[in-house]
Amino acid sequence: MSAIELQNVSAAYRESDVLHAVSLTVAAGEWLALLGPNGAGKSTLLRVITGLLPARAGVALLNGRDIRAIRGTERARLVAVVPQELSTPLPFTVAELVGLGRVSARARLARPGAEDRRAIERALAYTDLLDLRDRPFGELSGGEKQRAALALALAQETRILLLDEPTAHLDLNHQWEILRLLDRLNRECRLTIVMTSHDLNLAAEFCARLALFDRGRLAALGKPAEVLREDLLREVYRCDVRVRQESGRAPEVRPERRPPPAAGTSAKKIHVLAGGGSGAELLRLLLLTGHQVSCGPLNMGDSDAQAAAALEIRAALEKPFSPLGKAALATARQFAGEAQVLVLAEVPFGPGNVALLTLAEEALARGARVLINTRHLDQRDFTPQREALPRLRALLDRGAVAWQHADEIFQALEKPA
Amino acid sequence: MRKPWMLWLLVALAPLVLGGALLLGSAGALWPDPRTELGRALLQLRLHRVVCGFAVGAGLAVAGAVLQALLRNPLAEPYVLGVSSGAGLGAALVITCGLATTSVFALPAGAFLFALATLALVFALATQRGRASIYGLLLSGVILSAIASSLLMLLLSLASTEGLHGITWWLLGNLQGDSTATLVLGSVLIAAAGIVVWWLARDLDALALGPELAHHLGIAPALVTALGLGCATLMTAAAVAMSGLIGFVGLIVPHALRALVGPGHRRLLPATALAGGCFLVLCDTFARTAFAPLEVPVGVVTALLGGPVFLWLLRRRAAGWVE
Repeated sequence: MSAIELQNVSAAYRESDVLHAVSLTVAAGEWLALLGPNGAGKSTLLRVITGLLPARAGVALLNGRDIRAIRGTERARLVAVVPQELSTPLPFTVAELVGLGRVSARARLARPGAEDRRAIERALAYTDLLDLRDRPFGELSGGEKQRAALALALAQETRILLLDEPTAHLDLNHQWEILRLLDRLNRECRLTIVMTSHDLNLAAEFCARLALFDRGRLAALGKPAEVLREDLLREVYRCDVRVRQESGRAPEVRPERRPPPAAGTSAKKIHVLAGGGSGAELLRLLLLTGHQVSCGPLNMGDSDAQAAAALEIRAALEKPFSPLGKAALATARQFAGEAQVLVLAEVPFGPGNVALLTLAEEALARGARVLINTRHLDQRDFTPQREALPRLRALLDRGAVAWQHADEIFQALEKPA
Repeated sequence: MRKPWMLWLLVALAPLVLGGALLLGSAGALWPDPRTELGRALLQLRLHRVVCGFAVGAGLAVAGAVLQALLRNPLAEPYVLGVSSGAGLGAALVITCGLATTSVFALPAGAFLFALATLALVFALATQRGRASIYGLLLSGVILSAIASSLLMLLLSLASTEGLHGITWWLLGNLQGDSTATLVLGSVLIAAAGIVVWWLARDLDALALGPELAHHLGIAPALVTALGLGCATLMTAAAVAMSGLIGFVGLIVPHALRALVGPGHRRLLPATALAGGCFLVLCDTFARTAFAPLEVPVGVVTALLGGPVFLWLLRRRAAGWVE
């Protein structure tokens, strides 16, 4: 029987859905890491498993039983949770705090019995807190507090342990300490562990299986090597990563670091055609890598125009919410004329901004390089005569370069013209 | 310094304190002769006063301890949160409307309803985006307390002479009530609510870690919070109906007792009840005898002791308490 089973679970806070039809099975004795960017739904999933947040649709089963049918005191003996941060206003000592793990294990108003004391001692011993047992919890360091939080959960003596980013606030040695401890619990005590994490490498090092979440959906589930793939991570985290896979070792993920080009060598004049927020990230990346960037035409108040202003990038601007007019177009044409490269962002085309295509066509005609974003290309033409798509296709046929991820732009920029 | 036997020390000390209070009066330290009529009357008056002081002190102290655990803050206290003033307004309304003489339940019921309404209002005013900050709670409490006091003054100005006497007597925060029925009913209510919160001791312990972790530990946070707040309000209302407005008992006593018996509520609540009762009886004995033959309202004594403690706690908020 699997320890945790989720069948088509959807969950939501108020109106917005945070989890969409997630199905997932965790075998008894397994250690699974839930990965994904902020807001991907990892913590929400933990809340569903603990019954804190009722699933809007689907079922969550603990040891084969519906979580909604399990009473609180019984649930506390099935599954324990280590929160991201533990704090309390009361001046508990470490041992008193860990003792709270036993509140559901004995009758109301009963003194802690021999069984309780044994569980507390064991939890303190596992987390190496025996020497600190009489210290006030509030005076512990961050790493010690995290260990105490873990001890509190261990004192519950459950077979399933859930952790919400157990290493988030810890320095390197404490991160490893906690994970080695979990590893021991997983191997020696056959504890089923599910943890959320932002650290892909630590998760890959310790967990047999990883689950990658993307905007409330399960994007991938499997062995570290199957989940930590460059294409998948790029899609989910929206940033460029490299994965190094050596045989016999856990895959190692690191973000792609692009050193700025030395002045005068490969720095280029680049003009960005964007709008509606499609170019903000692009402008930032191009500026950070040392290029000379301009953009426009853009409507004043457009988030791309705001990004350009904040980054001190020169931009050809038009009045808010108006079609791009002659003056702005003329300025933009001047900027574009000076540029060696034109980059067209993932922008929807309508009657107001179809002039962007004209600028791209002129640039290509005079021999400048044109890079066109082709993500969802056929769904972005809102011009009355559906003229944008054929014109984009024509540009690509005549030598414009298609791109979908920012690193493709940088690859194109590094190639000689 | 924290020792489990402190609780038993308190159990041993309490009869001494209460007996001593029976001995002392504004007439000096003497055991009234129960064979004379005067002696019997004096003894009865002092007995009433000691029992009332003990029940009110215990009720206010336990209410403070429960509010502090539920709101996760050491500054929470019935008086500071405006619950006492609300109860006072309710009780005063009952007196002016002439309902106090109709039933012994009228006064505590009026106090309880208004105390509950005040607490709800304080929460509603302090809550933003689903969270009540402690500063919001304290500020709303102070302001609502001021409004309730003003309404009380308004009642006082408009009341008939007969009603006026009732309210003024009662407003002074006086333990020398004249109704044995109110004393008995109030003490029973405080004891009953006290037993319920003691029964919730482990839930209060767990809730001090926050509602989410309490849930993970097998506790039902919403239910316990509602039950705990209701009991704390009932104890405050009963105390106010018995003795008027007495502040800060619920602040000083639980704080001192946590240092002596530890923060676990199974031991803390009985210890707080005993110590709170003795504390108020001591304060009252001081109020009766220090300036004899003049008497100081006991609320003045507790406020003079409790105010500085409140400010001291406010200053050292960094020491582990969270918002």
